[in-house]
Amino acid sequence: MKNKPSLSRRSFLGRAATAGAIGVVSPALIHSCAPSKDIKDVKYDLCSFLDQAPDGPELKAGLIGCGGRGTGAAQNFLDAGPNLKIIALADVIPDKLNAAKKKLKENKNNEVPDENCFIGFDAYEKLLALDLDVVLIATPPHFRPIHFEAAVQARKHVFMEKPVAVDPQGAVSIMGTAKKAEGLGLSVVAGTQRRHQRNYVETYKNIAGGMIGELTGGNVYWNGGKLWHRNPNTQWNEMEYMIRNWVNWIWLSGDHIVEQHVHNLDVAHWFFGAHPVKALGFGSRQRRVTGDQYDNFSIDFVFEDGRHLHSMCRQINGCNGGVYERLQGQNGSTNAKDIINGLNGETLWEYPYELDEEGKHKGFLSPYVQEHVDLVNAIRTDTPINEGENVAKSTMLAIMGRISAYTGKETTWDEMMNTDLKLGPKVYAMGNVDVDKAVPIPGEAWKPK
Amino acid sequence: MRKFCLIFVPGILLGILLIWGAGKAIEATSTDKYCSSCHVHPQANISWKRSVHYDTGSGTHTHCVECHLPPKGEGYLVQKIRTGLHDVYAHWFKDSADFNWDAKSKLENAVHHTFDLSCNKCHANLFPIQLTKKGSDAHLYYVSQTEKGIDIQCINCHLDAGHYDPNYTHEANIGFGVASSLPEEIFNEPAMVEEFISFKETIPNSSVSFKMLTIHGGKFMLGSPEDELFRDDDEGPSTEVGVSSFFLGEIEVSWNEYMAFYAQTAGEGRSSDTEGVRKNTANVDAIVGATPPYGQPDQGWGKGQRPAISISYHAAETYCKWLSQVTGKTYRLPTEAEWEYAARGNTQGAYFFEVDPKKVMKKGLFSSKPDTTTINTYVVYRENSSLKTQESDFVQANPFGLKNMLGNVAEFCSDWYTVDAYKQLSTSALNPKGPSSGEEHVIKGGSYRSSAAQVRIANRDYTKTTDWLRTDPQIPKSIWWYSNCFHVGFRVVCEFNEKTGNN
Repeated sequence: MKNKPSLSRRSFLGRAATAGAIGVVSPALIHSCAPSKDIKDVKYDLCSFLDQAPDGPELKAGLIGCGGRGTGAAQNFLDAGPNLKIIALADVIPDKLNAAKKKLKENKNNEVPDENCFIGFDAYEKLLALDLDVVLIATPPHFRPIHFEAAVQARKHVFMEKPVAVDPQGAVSIMGTAKKAEGLGLSVVAGTQRRHQRNYVETYKNIAGGMIGELTGGNVYWNGGKLWHRNPNTQWNEMEYMIRNWVNWIWLSGDHIVEQHVHNLDVAHWFFGAHPVKALGFGSRQRRVTGDQYDNFSIDFVFEDGRHLHSMCRQINGCNGGVYERLQGQNGSTNAKDIINGLNGETLWEYPYELDEEGKHKGFLSPYVQEHVDLVNAIRTDTPINEGENVAKSTMLAIMGRISAYTGKETTWDEMMNTDLKLGPKVYAMGNVDVDKAVPIPGEAWKPK
Repeated sequence: MRKFCLIFVPGILLGILLIWGAGKAIEATSTDKYCSSCHVHPQANISWKRSVHYDTGSGTHTHCVECHLPPKGEGYLVQKIRTGLHDVYAHWFKDSADFNWDAKSKLENAVHHTFDLSCNKCHANLFPIQLTKKGSDAHLYYVSQTEKGIDIQCINCHLDAGHYDPNYTHEANIGFGVASSLPEEIFNEPAMVEEFISFKETIPNSSVSFKMLTIHGGKFMLGSPEDELFRDDDEGPSTEVGVSSFFLGEIEVSWNEYMAFYAQTAGEGRSSDTEGVRKNTANVDAIVGATPPYGQPDQGWGKGQRPAISISYHAAETYCKWLSQVTGKTYRLPTEAEWEYAARGNTQGAYFFEVDPKKVMKKGLFSSKPDTTTINTYVVYRENSSLKTQESDFVQANPFGLKNMLGNVAEFCSDWYTVDAYKQLSTSALNPKGPSSGEEHVIKGGSYRSSAAQVRIANRDYTKTTDWLRTDPQIPKSIWWYSNCFHVGFRVVCEFNEKTGNN
């Protein structure tokens, strides 16, 4: 009953970390005791390296969220292989839906019948009631958890854009829904396309194979210029304005560390094979024109075993930029993308780009198409892939960093997994939006005594 | 050749027969009927038939061995032989009328007789499509904790899945402590204490009172001598120390006392402050008490004069702070030295009563039955507790008039625990307070689940915060309620100082 010699938090943590590492190697550990015949083994190596998905019976897809990325994703889907069709569209804003419909017709000769076009906050439900195989979800990230859950309940395969949530509750919801999809043998692909980008995937294989030993730390960056914004317009009510200007509102986009920088955080999460469990960071709003978001963040993330990952992101014009990762290992470093260096800077490995006659990189299939090739391939060969949990964790990571910057407090993964924090209005309807629009300020003001 | 056939062929036949017979035997001894032929306690069979594992929507029944043995090929036979031997022994050498089936069905015991592997064998998909949001969140927690190697099992939450229990609560117990007690005299004032005599404290605005006894200070030998039976190394060296006079609760803080605190201070559930700046944080000086617990902190054993359990060290400290505030006195947890001085009551043996330590414990299979007459009079422990807490007057007091110092529940002390704490003591130290920092606190005195060895006065143990919150699904985990510790409570010291008439 007594166990006195073991009273050492450090030794306990050591053991817990070891057990954690084993858990990472075998994510399906607790299920593996009894792989039931009803449940398909889901593949976690996502990239098929195929230029085209194999042929098969027609796959009918619906698009929820007809903005620029949604329209793009729909065309990428149509490019992925033979016998693919977009047969339904859903959005809350008619001109966005009409523009997408027109583009699909002009660019891809894909006609969407009028009766399959739905407008409104419940449009996704009507779309999901149709006879579809695949759903592409590209609405502002706030709505992702609801749409994903509904799509899986309707037994559809899913492509969903990153990020997949704006708050901890949303990310947890995606994790649970991803598990449900796994249980049904559905495939889920996310728009963190670096995991489908061939040079990244080849670099990953070398790093995972131990070319530079264990990773010891890293830096990830998305420092760029200002993104777009919309000014209010008398013809739009507040909800419509916010949705049209969604990349500037926290409750819709999750702020730019979540909305954009999640790509780089996802690369670190992928290469380390684990996610950090603590964050302490800061950020501020210097030059953003509309909305309530910050425009710069700097976060120190810490893994369970004490390794650090630094993350930096900015959306301000006229500053030096750079979008990349740099990961350090025991015996070298890598840009995660196409080059691996030894400790003295010597090149250990380089991605073998094919060259054209002029000696330039010929490139390879765009990862934006590759991810749909991989999705369609998974469906048609009945070998499900599921990156729902990965992308939910990467999203949560970004949210954890954001909340630390907003509050000035250290945040932990466990807190994130269990807080009831949920952003956005209680009901979705056109009109005024009942959310706090104040820009977050960390810490306390000095008060004269 | 003939000789070979004579030996070999019958040998093979016998082997086949044995294997076939063993197979048949395994089959025959694995039926529900066979199990219930010995497990005659009525609740096992009836409660199983009322549970969701018998009364299923699909018409299939989940049988005894499907939960109470691991899956075939994953330790099934080994466990079957082990339980089989145990059952045969119990059948021939024990009287089933003595079995405490109620205690055996509690989580603490039940985890040894159900197998997570078996749960997962059938429930291979923990995320069925119809799973609720709460269910999904809880299973995500289970998966993440199990991956970390933390022992958390299906029945930690689904205790009633195999055997129906109408009293089982699996939700936030918002109504906890809301039901008002019988109309009784409500005290308006705390007790007035002007001199050093035992008094009855009355908690203002409640009907609760409790006795505080005088403990006259003095010197004594802290810890146990090296030749004490069952001694652990952390109990020595035995060192002379002194304590000043103080008042000590006659009994361990009861549910009645704790519920007065809970009723007057309870917080209104949890709040999330991770988004900090977006919420107004009001600064209040008032003591904010425990939030509603999850499930039943009293384990369904009853409240009243039973000691309060499942409460955290932080909750116990906050209780003392609150009690000091409402009574105008200085209440706090005892130091380890104060606790042991009071427990000894001027005695110097392993127990405060006369007993031969060699005879209280059964050692080995063939030693004679232990003599428990005396110890039963003074201590609620493993052999007489029915594996639950008892009301305070179940036993007789020690020489200072204190009840349950050695049993019922173990008690928090204010000292940090270290193995070598007594080595650091200077001889004749007055009011030693233990190491200046640490990770876990000392707990003294045994509990309803302790052996006779563990209810010795000098026995020391410590809080195990991480383990005691193992299955708390909230994060941050509750600072008020332990999810996995029911055997520890506390007793309060009231200081004899200017507030209590000692100028």
